[in-house]
Amino acid sequence: MKNNPETKTVQITVAGKPMEAREGQTIVHALWQAGMASEVMTGCLGGVCGACTVSVRYPDGRKGGTELACLHQVEEGMQVFPFPVDPIPTKPPVKEPDAAKLREAYPTLDRCTKCESCTYACPMDIPVMDSVLRMQKGEVEQVAQDFTTCIHCGLCRAVCEDKVEPHQMGMWVRRSLGQSLPNMTPQEEPEGEAEREWGYLMEGTLEQRLERARQFRTQESLNSLEDSKE
Amino acid sequence: MDWAGDQLRQIEATRRQRLDESAPKMDDSKASTLLENFHPDFKGLERLVQVGPQAGKLKCLSEIAELLEADSPLPAVFEPSPTLETDVLVVGGGGAGLAAALTLQNSGLQVTVATKLRIGDANTLMAEGGIQAAVGSNDSPRRHYADTVVGGHGKNVPELVRLLVEEARPAIDWLTQLGVHFGRTEKGYELKPGGGTSTPRVLSCQDVTGLEIMRVLRDAVFHGPAQLLEGHSAVELCDDGEGRVTGAVLWNSEAKELVTVSARAVLLATGGSGQLRLQGFATSNHLGATGDGLVLAWRQGCSLVHLDSFQYHPTGSVFPEAIAGQLVTESARSMGAQLLNAEGKRFIDELSYRDRVAAAIIREVSEGRGVTTPAGRQGVWLDTPLIDKRQGEGTLARQFPGMIHRFKKYGIDPSTQPLLVYPTLHYQNGGVAIDQEARTEREGLWAAGEVTGGLHGTNRLMGNSLLDIIVFGRRAGESIISNIKDRGPVTLSALSRFRKERETVSGLSQQKAPQLYPTVSGMKFELKQAPLEKPGDDSFSQQGSAGGSSFEPPDPFSAR
Ligand SMILES: Cc1cc2nc3c(=O)[nH]c(=O)nc-3n(C[C@H](O)[C@H](O)[C@H](O)COP(=O)(O)OP(=O)(O)OC[C@H]3O[C@@H](n4cnc5c(N)ncnc54)[C@H](O)[C@@H]3O)c2cc1C
Ligand code: SF4
Ligand code: SF4
Ligand code: FES
Repeated sequence: MKNNPETKTVQITVAGKPMEAREGQTIVHALWQAGMASEVMTGCLGGVCGACTVSVRYPDGRKGGTELACLHQVEEGMQVFPFPVDPIPTKPPVKEPDAAKLREAYPTLDRCTKCESCTYACPMDIPVMDSVLRMQKGEVEQVAQDFTTCIHCGLCRAVCEDKVEPHQMGMWVRRSLGQSLPNMTPQEEPEGEAEREWGYLMEGTLEQRLERARQFRTQESLNSLEDSKE
Repeated sequence: MDWAGDQLRQIEATRRQRLDESAPKMDDSKASTLLENFHPDFKGLERLVQVGPQAGKLKCLSEIAELLEADSPLPAVFEPSPTLETDVLVVGGGGAGLAAALTLQNSGLQVTVATKLRIGDANTLMAEGGIQAAVGSNDSPRRHYADTVVGGHGKNVPELVRLLVEEARPAIDWLTQLGVHFGRTEKGYELKPGGGTSTPRVLSCQDVTGLEIMRVLRDAVFHGPAQLLEGHSAVELCDDGEGRVTGAVLWNSEAKELVTVSARAVLLATGGSGQLRLQGFATSNHLGATGDGLVLAWRQGCSLVHLDSFQYHPTGSVFPEAIAGQLVTESARSMGAQLLNAEGKRFIDELSYRDRVAAAIIREVSEGRGVTTPAGRQGVWLDTPLIDKRQGEGTLARQFPGMIHRFKKYGIDPSTQPLLVYPTLHYQNGGVAIDQEARTEREGLWAAGEVTGGLHGTNRLMGNSLLDIIVFGRRAGESIISNIKDRGPVTLSALSRFRKERETVSGLSQQKAPQLYPTVSGMKFELKQAPLEKPGDDSFSQQGSAGGSSFEPPDPFSAR
């Protein structure tokens, strides 16, 4: 594919250094190809770890902004600036979270000036500012939902001049709520029957065991398997 | 996707009619022929490994064989002298490593987690579909066992599978207590079917299950006492000269320095090897998945099992080019998405075992019924709009926010447009042999997670790996607590033996292993030159490390 004549090349700069890239490539792959992999920190290569945060500027004056370099495609003239964000510690979660407990853990909650920078910065399209306002009102269920896809890249925090930490609060709410949910796994059934089934499944040669497993999986239990054979 | 206009229109036209069509069926003997003819495991590109504990016995892909035979990147003159002492060294900060670290939390043992990238930058974080546990009303651990064993072609180690399925419920409870949200209904956990499950058994957090689990484990570890060494890759394990593992040599990628650690117990939790991009396949794996753990354990004399088998996930993206190889979760198929060839025809039961589905896709493409992208890749269609047709409008957006988000960037909406897919290198089915306590064959060395082999046989079911890392990660932690020994001498005697053995074999490749990074990335294991050796030459430290540039990022919002 490398030699596909139809692939156009484009010129971009990364941290001020000019380089050539193939159209359609991600910034990360372009860096790899140019032997400059260590310019931008990389983790998952799939848009979920938040390691590869960069900010991007276009020469034609189009709106740039923060992006994930592993998902963002190169374009002619694009200027890329590594924008790593150091993680900071979170506050320990508590049971039955509400607005008061959240404020206690994160007193900066009310500093939000509704500038919306966080929402613009979020590469996951999370309505960050709206969610901060929901936090102020204690709508924890909705907040937990909002942050389901948060990759903890920290960009919302990095751009917040008022030192609000939306993603940290989102995490705190999610973990706190999660811990307050009841366990819902069922109890094990009566011992005897289980042991009989284990005996049936685990004894014999590989072929025998495989054949038994094949039959067993079509039934709920050994009893019903035996019934079905009668 | 204008280039595929005609085909898209055809798929759209037949969608209604296909909705209620039953899936193409295939009996087991046909399936074996399909696998033998088209699954990459059966390509015959394997050979015997020539150096190491199973020399002349272990058969695996020649790419893996070369890796196992390779020399260590450590300079020949390197003498290990520990600069760091800990009780338990966990190598790898993914799900298995952190589950173990949390289990060790209140044991009084000092735990150090060393990981290649940042804590949590791992395959665990990328898991989408979910985690299996027999919590449904007509389900049992035995049924889960039966499904797993049939999926693994019966080659699974029975005792490991039994432990996996019996510990599933406690594992789910443990995660819930830590704050993981699994989807729920009024009656209990919401359960999805997965390829090869005989009843719905997959718990999930929408399509970001791994992200949710990893986020929570990481946060919990951040609150605990464990020492965390990010950007520290293990390049060699150390031993006491008598077969017991007593530490490791780590490479600090930021300082470009080697660090020797003395430990009373070492846990290998380095995950898989997708970034080796075997046989030229694209991969769904994170940057650090280069099979390092296999190499480290091998040089200590541990056996590897089922290494002749890898999982090629049937549905890796093919278009757009930028995200080629990235996963389209199996849940898409379990929720009703169908696979169609270039003629718009179905060719396999989408919920059959992964190896069969992957082989069937490869067959379609190699027999000329594939779709070619503008970049020259080939694939088949995955008709995702059927999900909403079958489960109700809005289901896809609700259940697959990750997928929607990823494709939206490229102007593709999976709820109205089908996606193009082809198998992607996804999972290392085999690996380091362990027992029910997650112990390897070497004293002092435990292993858990994707780096191990035996549990999944030669084909893993969706959702069994996330379960694996929690169950066996915790098991490793418990076992270390009850079996840990006193501190021993830290030597490289296993490596010296290995190097001597290498000298007796001719024609070995010059490759070094563990390779730490995908070779396509151009990232290297390069030691900083000692300043005294060559005064004035600091070219190594000048190489820009991540974020180390002197450029101020512009205000990203100035243009708003
Ligand atoms: C895209 C994707 C989707 C998936 N979906 C599912 C799913 O839905 N359900 C399911 O059950 N499974 C799924 N899997 C599989 C599952 O996520 C992994 O197999 C599992 O999480 C592996 O966990 P682990 O802890 O063993 O390894 P990882 O989570 O990969 O962690 C290993 C860690 O060790 C580090 N490391 C590697 N080498 C070294 C070294 N030399 N020194 C120090 N550190 C090192 C790595 O960088 C990484 O941080 C998926 C996998 C992928 C890639
Ligand atoms: S960036 Fe800070 S101040 Fe601005 S909206 Fe977001 S949280 Fe509020
Ligand atoms: S909410 Fe903040 S931390 Fe989370 S993804 Fe968005 S910008 Fe990143
Ligand atoms: S590398 Fe993980 S988000 Fe880009």
